Amino acid sequence: MNLAILFGGASYEHEISIVSAITLKDKLSSLDLTFIFLDQDHTFYLIDADKMRAKTFSSGSYKQFKQLNLEKGGFVQRAFLSSKRLVIDKVLNLIHGADGEDATVASLFEFYDIAYIGPRKDASVMSFDKFLTKAYASACEVDTVSYELLSGQRETKIPLPFIIKPTRLGSSIGVSIVKAQDELDYALDVAYELDDRLLIEPFIEGVKEYNVAGCMSASGLELSIVEEPQKEEFLDFDKKYLDFSRSQKVHEADISDALKQELYTAFEKIYLPVFEGALIRCDFFVVEGKVLLNEINPIPGSMANYLFTDFTEVIKNLSLPKKKEIRVNYNYLHSIRSAKGKA
Amino acid sequence: MALKSFQHDQHTYSIAYEIVNPTAKHDIIILHGWGSSKEIMKQAFEPYMGRFRHIYIDLPGFGGSINHTVLDTTEYARILEAFFELIAAKKEIIVGHSFGGKVATLLNPDLLVLLSSAGISVPKPLKIKMKIKLTKFANALGIKKLGKLFRAKDAKALNTLMYETFKKVVDEDFTDEFKSFHNKALICWGEDDTATPLLSGQKISNLIDKNRFTVYQGDHFFFINRAKSIASEIEEEYLK
Repeated sequence: MNLAILFGGASYEHEISIVSAITLKDKLSSLDLTFIFLDQDHTFYLIDADKMRAKTFSSGSYKQFKQLNLEKGGFVQRAFLSSKRLVIDKVLNLIHGADGEDATVASLFEFYDIAYIGPRKDASVMSFDKFLTKAYASACEVDTVSYELLSGQRETKIPLPFIIKPTRLGSSIGVSIVKAQDELDYALDVAYELDDRLLIEPFIEGVKEYNVAGCMSASGLELSIVEEPQKEEFLDFDKKYLDFSRSQKVHEADISDALKQELYTAFEKIYLPVFEGALIRCDFFVVEGKVLLNEINPIPGSMANYLFTDFTEVIKNLSLPKKKEIRVNYNYLHSIRSAKGKA
Repeated sequence: MALKSFQHDQHTYSIAYEIVNPTAKHDIIILHGWGSSKEIMKQAFEPYMGRFRHIYIDLPGFGGSINHTVLDTTEYARILEAFFELIAAKKEIIVGHSFGGKVATLLNPDLLVLLSSAGISVPKPLKIKMKIKLTKFANALGIKKLGKLFRAKDAKALNTLMYETFKKVVDEDFTDEFKSFHNKALICWGEDDTATPLLSGQKISNLIDKNRFTVYQGDHFFFINRAKSIASEIEEEYLK
């Protein structure tokens, strides 16, 4: 399979995406990989596999690589008088945060008819906004932590301690735990700088957290092991990502079969059918025996490869949803014309 | 990073700031120079002075702080005073680099730390004087482009408001302001500084009555590589 990995993007998680791509280069080495970098100014570059190093990007030397353009059906490399199309079966959208997860890339690829692994438009819109995620989960009958939405206000009814989260940023950017009243002002300034809508959730001490990843494959829903992530209070940006390039396998969470089944069922309710085409990771909390959805990562860090026994097979078998084609046949206009006797 | 928007003197200012060691009891406020931003200051000082709450601020018109008016240094200080009140910041120690040094002086902290501060006007070299004369002459004839060509590097990237602000602050002489500062001051300078020459540092040291003057190796941005020793000087001086 010729798989193109698209990474970078105009996103707060631009650099994380680069780390993800470098990790996947190693994890998917048995596939034919192509690397497409989207810089912060929205130019695509075709990066040589042997130059897939942090320095290529941090030094700006990626600019020496060939630029790519989108055309109906694929990426092309334009030269004087000619253009060369890249041979690609699918593109793996590995842009975390804005661009990748906010439906920009999904819309582009659908518009240009490019087969891609990643969340579709509707899935992106719902998982990118933490408030809409709550609404979606509730429609799927999956519980979430109680919350209050702030749009500009600077006080909350939720008692201390609580967590403040910007609604429309992936990852943990701008998230703070407020334990004392005098910490509130700064935490609000931090979060409001990033977003004008914030979620406030009660901070639950010692909450159990479990992650499940999965995707739709030819043979049905493919689910990962259940992971209990290492954490302090919550994973802040650095920890979450410095950690994910890890290569060793994670230990499966030591939980009852019943709980495992419950987590899988919740995952399935969330995944089907909206997230088809994407490999997603759902992060759950378990509070007093109850499973709560905390977050949907429609493009998880390094695609949560460490949760699968054979990640390459998972990517190979991942099935993409059928796109309904719209054919315009001009019947209506014809009918008007014939009604006027002009046919 | 954080952003606070507030009204001051009929204008809305949005100040980007960042707090390090939020639970520390004593405050150190750190101001950058002209054309710079809090990141460079934070990069230098964040690892040190763990006993203090560091407050890094983007001055209006720089970094993430938005400015819609023409300001002078006094106005900068007033805006910051209003901002300090909102974030309950105490003016215990204020560090100012270059232009930030002038603002810091006006804020009258318990301990003033000047890093290659601006505020002593140095006679302009003949070349610059000629450029100004020529520009004024050209402007009088209606040729506006010449002036833009001659603008200082610091001024080139500025929008009109900030260029007007620049013209206001660049030549201000702070001899009187330094003279009337009576708290403790620490003056640190890079010996090869060409933007604010070492001589300016010596002058300021003669103007402020209680100060310690230290010369470091380096240029106008000497503090980036000397942050550790500057930090220990600050701690020593403040806790004395």
